[in-house]
Amino acid sequence: MDRADAVTSRRQAPRNRLQAPGPELRPTAPTTGTVACPRCKRRFVAERYAADLNVCSECGHHGVVGAAQRIEQLADPNTAETLAVEVGDRDPLGFDDGVPYPQRVARARERTGLHEAFLTARASLAGNPVMLACMDFEFLGGSLGSGAGEIFARACEMAVAERRALVAVCTSGGARMQEGIASLAQMARCSAGVAEVIDARLPYVTILGDPCFGGVTASFAVQSDVIIAEPGARIGFAGGRVIEQATHDKLPDGFQTAEFLLAHGMVDAVVERGRLRDAVGTLIRIYSGRA
Amino acid sequence: MSTTIETTERERIAFAAVELARHPERPRALQVIAAITSGWTELRGDRLFGDDRAVVGGPARLGGRSVMVIGQEKGTDPMTRALHNFGMPHPEGYRKAVRLMRQAEKFSMPVLCLVDTPAAHAGIGAEERGQAWAIADALLCMLGLRTPTVSVVLSEGGSGGALALALADRVLALENAVYTVAPPETCAAILYRDAGQRARAAAALRPGVDTANRIGLVDELIPEPPPGAHAHAPLVIAAIRGAVIRHLDELRDIPIDELVAERRSRYRAAGG
Repeated sequence: MDRADAVTSRRQAPRNRLQAPGPELRPTAPTTGTVACPRCKRRFVAERYAADLNVCSECGHHGVVGAAQRIEQLADPNTAETLAVEVGDRDPLGFDDGVPYPQRVARARERTGLHEAFLTARASLAGNPVMLACMDFEFLGGSLGSGAGEIFARACEMAVAERRALVAVCTSGGARMQEGIASLAQMARCSAGVAEVIDARLPYVTILGDPCFGGVTASFAVQSDVIIAEPGARIGFAGGRVIEQATHDKLPDGFQTAEFLLAHGMVDAVVERGRLRDAVGTLIRIYSGRA
Repeated sequence: MSTTIETTERERIAFAAVELARHPERPRALQVIAAITSGWTELRGDRLFGDDRAVVGGPARLGGRSVMVIGQEKGTDPMTRALHNFGMPHPEGYRKAVRLMRQAEKFSMPVLCLVDTPAAHAGIGAEERGQAWAIADALLCMLGLRTPTVSVVLSEGGSGGALALALADRVLALENAVYTVAPPETCAAILYRDAGQRARAAAALRPGVDTANRIGLVDELIPEPPPGAHAHAPLVIAAIRGAVIRHLDELRDIPIDELVAERRSRYRAAGG
């Protein structure tokens, strides 16, 4: 069967731009009442915090952003067309740690309104045709299960088929332990997707948000042409706590932060959230040979 | 009450399988290389920072052909175990492996990878020098390499640290080896917030290579006579040699474009 057959997309109504299959998408952060900056604790009217892209205007802390909100932040107004990729229910190990794994997935779906930890969309980004693939940390810690891996790989294939640049926002705790070795295999599956994008010579840009670890960092998150990190984002392979416990070494100041990785030559730039669309748009325009 | 006893028994069996895979006398990479190849010449260093002794590699002759052999080495006694960092590579190990794979491609030599690691090293230096970047690069390298590749999981295939040397055209595994998303201790720490519940994690995660076989990361299991490879090293090493040569022979006849395309689509589908 042609993979494209399994993918349907729909144009959103202007009032409700980010419509996914099933329940309506809910923003991660509340849009009513007040929210506190997780770092400086300053309180904001929720609407204002969302308008500031969940960045604290007081201390500059970049808060968590859901996948739907990410797409809205990066895409040009009214251009995002989310892809309803159905990956079904997957439970390769029959995993149960008191709560059966399919039930955990069902709860995550209910809570986030997402089908999996990845949400993908066709969009225009600063005038460039792009495929957006955004992870959602609220969906089981953005963990890379086989469903999420499949969604990303299809986004790669659609980027190639439609000659779109690929832009991925990565935020994840790493592998989805409940899927065991099948989760590990997603590093291979996603890399195979990226390899198609590379062969097609399409620009691939990744934006790494807080946090980004494990098999996500060790595969598609850093296989891009340009790696951009958000200020203060913690990024790495093994988590700092794991390293401290394993080695009993004292971690250096700012270890594994975006700024630390920039100094060590691991990322191309640290870019504030408000400037991401322009920065990515400029890059894609240049790589595409357009003025 | 009986459920608890059954669960405990299941966990005990599952963890015993992990311990069997970790048996210190199972064949190690250098031992296999010495036994099945001739003229193996170790090449060292990643040309960027240093030489990681958890990964060894170099060209050799095997069954009438030249082959690039790369292995993760755990060591066999306290001194060599420390020297090889218990088989846990730093980024330099993966970068050396990529350098040697590129060299193999240049000389049209197939690549043989011997996988044996609990996980990639977790440490400050490894993070500073881009552990994730090195693994991600090795994955892409293996997916696109224009020469035949065979990997053998000897004992422990742990995490992305193992996968980085295991995206081959053919992946074989010794029957009693384990292949896991992370060591059971780490899984337990993540799932139950208690590394002590490693037996429970082992039971839940089905770490045996038959699971990896079922989801498409492993193609063929190499049988081990009871009680396991630790008691029959020469026999098992001979079986490894036979299986590797058989697969290299088959792969030699496949046009390289076809081989790379098959490899790509196989890993595109891996994991269900």
